[in-house]
Amino acid sequence: MDEAYPELGRGITQPPLPPFDTNLGAAAQGAPLRPRPSSHAPGSSRGRGPADTAVDAMQQPALRLVRLGRVPYTELLGLQDRWLRRLQTEVGTEGLSGTEAGALLLCEPAGPVYTTGLRGGLTPEEIARLQALGAEVRVTGRGGLATFHGPGQLLCHPVLDLRRFGLRLRKHVAALEACAVRLCELQGLQGARARPPPYTGVWLDERKICAIGVRCGRHITSHGLALNCSTDLTWFEHIVPCGLVGTGVTSLSKELQTHITVDEIMPPFLVAFKEIYKCTLISEDSPS
Amino acid sequence: MRAVLCSLCAVLAPAAPCLLRAWQLGAGVIRTLCMGLALLSVCKFTEKHECVTTENGVGTVGISNFAQEALGDVVYCSLLEVGTKLNKQDEFGALESVKAASELYSPLSGEVSEINEALAENPGLVSKFCYEDGWLIKMTLSNPSALDEIRS
Repeated sequence: MDEAYPELGRGITQPPLPPFDTNLGAAAQGAPLRPRPSSHAPGSSRGRGPADTAVDAMQQPALRLVRLGRVPYTELLGLQDRWLRRLQTEVGTEGLSGTEAGALLLCEPAGPVYTTGLRGGLTPEEIARLQALGAEVRVTGRGGLATFHGPGQLLCHPVLDLRRFGLRLRKHVAALEACAVRLCELQGLQGARARPPPYTGVWLDERKICAIGVRCGRHITSHGLALNCSTDLTWFEHIVPCGLVGTGVTSLSKELQTHITVDEIMPPFLVAFKEIYKCTLISEDSPS
Repeated sequence: MRAVLCSLCAVLAPAAPCLLRAWQLGAGVIRTLCMGLALLSVCKFTEKHECVTTENGVGTVGISNFAQEALGDVVYCSLLEVGTKLNKQDEFGALESVKAASELYSPLSGEVSEINEALAENPGLVSKFCYEDGWLIKMTLSNPSALDEIRS
């Protein structure tokens, strides 16, 4: 793991993680990162063995890492809904050792899509105009107003149980901002910063590089952040991004004057995420 | 309110009705304190962020202090319409506190009889539930002794 993520040594204050966070081999050795079928039902009794002690010692929540690659935005939404239904109907939250506290959904949108939030953000006329440009328009229940998603952008939707992370909703938003700031730092951009409401998001001067918008229901989060890696920024010219008149948008590629892909920033992004959320990420071995 | 207050005072001082009398006299500070205590008492029993007080079969729903701190400044409130029938734990709306939309769940079963229109202009009022201004919805309760439903 250290070889794959040499940046792990830079500024990371938490102790080294046990060698079974993204490696399924270790899980196969008996560490109960996923629930054993017989023990999943709440209230069922089972004996505690050495594996339980190992998990207790970890003390970190685990998220299922789901990398979709380049897919239509609607596919991300569909998967998000399935995870939400699963997590929102789980009974109880305490001491379900070995159960994932949610999923980290990652993708690069395959096509251009504009989205609005709980408060809306686009008039019917604007929607028609954007559709005429060849973009999809989707209504979501997330916070925030209108924004754009498309190729070259990293979409990160943590669908997680705030209680398992000991997070309030505001802290979750701050943690998402911190992930983007940290990722920028790891890429050599030192000026990235989060700004207070209504400028939630991550900025370089007056240019937004990462948009944030989340939703929470029954303590389970959805939606998340959109980080511009090599996004075609001209798409943003057709809206007032996030309703903030007079502000600009930017991308890693634009700031670093070189082409940065979503795939290449994924490893440092995951490092930043684990560091900030103090969690482990379990690679999926089969679609759920 | 009165139903909650009576239960609370009975618990605190079963042989001393002085608190209740002070409330009836309308001493503003004590009334606020008792209502605050009553609300805290009710809020403790609900696991959710929503808080409810009941009087004469009508429940008034707001958000707890805990929820308000978790959300921060509320910038938008969306609520279901008057007449909507809600079961306990049904979603009845959402609050937004810049970039974070948080669903609201009904603590009791009943029918929405009133929604707080003032929140459209002034969504920040929701943080003032303990002072009566920040209520979200009122509902006629399916079960008049519904407060016990929350405690169980």
